[in-house]
Order: sequence, then C-alpha cells, then structure tokens
Amino acid sequence: MSAIRSVTVPPAPPPWIVAWVVLCLLALPVKVLGEIRVTDDAGREVHLAKPAQRIVSLSPHLTEILFHVGAGEQVVGTVSFSDFPAAAGRLPVVGSAGQLDLERILALEPDLVVAWQSGNPSRQVTRLEQLGLTVYYSEPRRLADLADTLEQLARLTGVPESGAARAEALRQGVRALTAQYAHRPQVPLFYQIWDKPLMTINDEHIIGELIGLCGGHNLFGELPALVPRLGPEAVLAADPEVIVGGGSGEDNRAWVDDWRRWQDLTAVQRDNLFFIPPSLIQRQTPRILEGAALLCEQLEQARQRRPESGR
Amino acid sequence: MNRLGIILAVLFIAALLVMGLSLGLGSVALSPGDVWAVVTGGGEPLQRALILELRLPRTLAAFATGGLLAVAGALMQVLLRNPLADPYVLGISGGAAVGALLSMLAGLATVLVSGAAFAGALLSTLLVFGLAHGTGSWTPVRLLLTGVVVAAGWGALISFLLAVSPGAQLPGMLYWLMGDLSHASHPGPALIVLLLAVLLAWPLGRSLNVLARGSLQAAALGVSVRPLEWTVYLLAAALTASAVTLAGTVGFVGLIVPHMLRLVLGNDQRIILPAAALAGGILLTLADTLARTVIAPQQLPVGVITAMLGVPVFLYLLHRSR
Repeated sequence: MSAIRSVTVPPAPPPWIVAWVVLCLLALPVKVLGEIRVTDDAGREVHLAKPAQRIVSLSPHLTEILFHVGAGEQVVGTVSFSDFPAAAGRLPVVGSAGQLDLERILALEPDLVVAWQSGNPSRQVTRLEQLGLTVYYSEPRRLADLADTLEQLARLTGVPESGAARAEALRQGVRALTAQYAHRPQVPLFYQIWDKPLMTINDEHIIGELIGLCGGHNLFGELPALVPRLGPEAVLAADPEVIVGGGSGEDNRAWVDDWRRWQDLTAVQRDNLFFIPPSLIQRQTPRILEGAALLCEQLEQARQRRPESGR
Repeated sequence: MNRLGIILAVLFIAALLVMGLSLGLGSVALSPGDVWAVVTGGGEPLQRALILELRLPRTLAAFATGGLLAVAGALMQVLLRNPLADPYVLGISGGAAVGALLSMLAGLATVLVSGAAFAGALLSTLLVFGLAHGTGSWTPVRLLLTGVVVAAGWGALISFLLAVSPGAQLPGMLYWLMGDLSHASHPGPALIVLLLAVLLAWPLGRSLNVLARGSLQAAALGVSVRPLEWTVYLLAAALTASAVTLAGTVGFVGLIVPHMLRLVLGNDQRIILPAAALAGGILLTLADTLARTVIAPQQLPVGVITAMLGVPVFLYLLHRSR
C-alpha cells in the first residue's frame, strides 16, 4: 500500500501550454474543413484548397457530369463534341479528347483539370501535371462508379449537396429498373457498338451492366476484350433474339436495319432490331439511365413478341 | 566567302527565322514583343510557361527530327544508289514502330515508349546488317532487298498490333505512326546526334561523291568501298533511330529534302549533307508550326503538313530542272 501512496503524481502542465494545445486542437478541424480531398479513379488523392472555380474538362461525358451536378458555370474549357447541355457547346474548346491543345489549357489558367483516364493521351495529361496543374482522373466503369464520380466532382467544385442528391437519384433509378426487370425471363441479345469493323461489348463494359439489369443476356459477354471485334458469321451463329445498336448519328438506324438481309435470324423474324441513340447509352453520364430505361422497354417488347410459351 | 559558306549562312538565318516564327505562333496569340521578353529572361509566368515549357522544346524537337531525317535520307540515297531510298526504306522505322506500339499496348510510360522505339530501331538495323551480310558477296542491291523485306515484315506486325489493340489506344498509336511532335519534350540528345553526324559525315563528302558514281569506279579511284558503305549505313541508321524515337515516323522529309537540295545546289555531298541538316530542320519546324495552328485548337499530325508543303515545291523544282 505504501508503495502505491509513494507514487508521485506528475505536476500539472503550466496553464499556457494547456491553452496552446487547446487552441491547436480547435484550429485543426478548421484547416481540414477548408481543404478538399478526394481520391480519383487513378487511386491518387486530389487536393484543393478551395472549391475549383476554373475547370477544364477533357471529355464530353465529364463536361456533361459537371453541368449535371450544377458546376457548369465554373467550367471554362471543354473538348470537341461537348454538346450537352447546349450551354456546354458555347465554351472554349481545347482540342479533342484524343489530342489536346496544351497551350490553350494552360492559357485558361484552370485550378482543376478533369481528365478521362482511358480517353486522353496519358503523356499530355502527365505534362499538364508537370506544369503544375491539378488533375482529377475519371474512369467510371460501372454504374456505381458513375454515382461516385458525381459526388466527388461535386465536392471538388463546391456543390456537394447537389452532387449527393444527383448521385442518389441515379442509384435510385438503377435500383428501380433492377427491381422491375432484372428477374424477368432472360433475352439473349447482341449489342452492336460499331459497324465496319463490327464491334460489340463484353460484360465488363458499362453497357454490359445495363443489359444485365434489364434481364438481357449478352451472347458475347464472356469474350476477354472490353470491346471485341466480331465477324458477322459469329452473330449469325449465335442467333440473338434481339439486336440492339447505336449508330453513327443520333437518329441513324442503318446499322441495325442492315441485319434484315439475314431473314433466318430470330431477331429479324420477330422484328427485334432496336436502336438506342448513342449519346444516351454510350456516354458515361447520368443520361445513361434514360438509355437503360429504353433498353429495358425494348427487351420487354421482345418478350411480348415471343410465341406464347416463352413469355 | 566560298559557295558553301554562303549557302550555309543563308540556311542558318532562315532556320533562326523559322524558329522565331515557331516560338511566336500558337493557338494562344503572343506578340513578338512578348516572345522577345521571354527569350531575354522576362515576361509573365504564363507566357514563360507557354514559350519555354511548351513551344521551345517542341520547336527544337521538330528542327532536330527534320535535320536527322534529311541527312539520313541523303546518306541512304548515296549508299543504295537509288533515288527512291529514304531513311525508312531499310525497315528501321518499322522496327521502331513495333517497339513503340507494343509498349503503348502494355500501357507503359512515355520514356519507356521512346526506349522501346529505339530498341526496335536498333534490332531492325542489326537484323538487316546481319542478313544482308549473309554468306555471299555484299552489294547495295542485296542490302536494299533485305531491308525492304524486313520492312514488309514489320509492316505486317504493325497491322496485327493495330487490329488487336483496344479502341482507346488506337488514336495514340495512329498519331505515332503518322509522326507526332506533341510528346517530344527532350530534344537535347537528338540535336547532339545531329551535330555529331554532320561533323562525322562532312569529311566523308568527297568519298561519297565518288561512291555515288558506283562502287567499281570508287574502288578504282582509291576509296575503300566496303568500310565506307558500312559507316554510312550505321550512321544513317543512328540518325533515323534518333528521329523516330523523338517524333514517331514522320514521313516525306527524308525522301524529298535531299532531292530538293540536289535540284537547287547540285549533287555535291560536301554541300548537300550540312545543307540537308538545316533545310530538313527548317521544313519540319515550319510544318509543325502550321500543324499546331492551322485548325487550332485541333492539332494535326505534322506529316500531313510536311507533304502538303513539300509536294508542290518539289514538283515545281523538278519541272524547272532540265
């Protein structure tokens, strides 16, 4: 007992140290709050001292996302084909996604560059980083990534609430379509993303995910390449029940209609040749939900056209 | 001042003017005053970044690439005694392209793409060197055929790589194959290679003049033909490899610039070789300036402009000559 009593209590620290420590602790959260940190799709941390006010977007889909979350007014430069919404089309252009004009980007003095990891030349974007610009890499591969991208870009641009709401709306829309269609009888289909050479997509592609949530079965989903090239014979052999395609324009059914040459195809016999405007499904933007809804309805039509037993 | 001195002085001044033009023109408008301020160490930070970080390396890279290819082309035409010879005819560019495309397919960094291109060029050079040597006697025709066939082999590999590559990689690959200076950021080594090569080739000029008349005549006049030919081959290969490593396969310059100079200056290699270094640089710098600005902000590959500038000038010179 005596041993315990003899333990000396350490002297209390002088009051000025206590005050200093408390002040530091108080100051800390303020400093962290002022700074914005997000992890981009390349796995790197992006820091901004304050929300970005001058943004250059290096892909049409990123421009569209920025406008969608309400940061459109802060965008000062885009790349060609940034045509949605209409206001985006009036912004200064800094080259095409595949070949950037570094001079123009630099001259716009952006505080944030939003880059498309697989679509922009990595050497040019790396050069922008070397020149001291802050770069956020985006690469939404799945619908869930897309919702995350909405939130992250909204945080970087100072509109986190609107971003969270838009992301939640997207997630909600996906859940609704999944609940309605994912468990319907499967529809074997071929999605044509390009003509000459004939190209489709596999299950890893975001369109593959849409096909899954609409209760479709991508006949070429198992192929290793993300965007496999096929011969027409492979499609004839697989005999899809439905053929869905984009086109070289927003209203150009020529690619899917071309399949009518093959009268033996189930898809042709049941008139299951469907067209979806490419900007609704082939761009990783929130509008993909509209494309998904269209696809789900088309597959439902195909189910209605089945002989009685198969519905 | 002798004729050579005057020609080189004129070309040198033209080169300086074209470089000044290239520094001053771009998709962002800068006045000559701004450029001068930056060159003399002043200017605003943005202007300094535009000129010193973006335009200057690219201008020097364009000049070096053009010079390298033109000298390599001039050497190849003498070596093979064939007016259609260009730096790429023996497959060096094909080997470099396969190296570059493979590394792009693997998603490697910029430096590694350049390294792979250089390794491919070296491999192709040694392959052609070894095969053309063969067991029998060695002739320029044999070298030419070996090179052309090896180049065809590389061509098939390039098509294969393009066919199996994912869509996202294709634009970068096509720009590389068309020749693209937008990535060239370290022109220093290429400029040194160019300078060394011209200094090395200049003393050979007299022997090359004799060689151009045929190897028998050259041998009869006391030129040791075999060592000279191999020196010329390896020199041209080194020049070409440096050029493609820097800027991809920029076409046309290596074929046309030596011919243009011959039409204007006569076929004296002592004049043609140093003049080609300057004239090739001038043509490519001018072409790249236009490629950056003609439809800015869209950027064209430089090869498009080189041919558009060069074809009419060449046809005019050819038409004028007797």
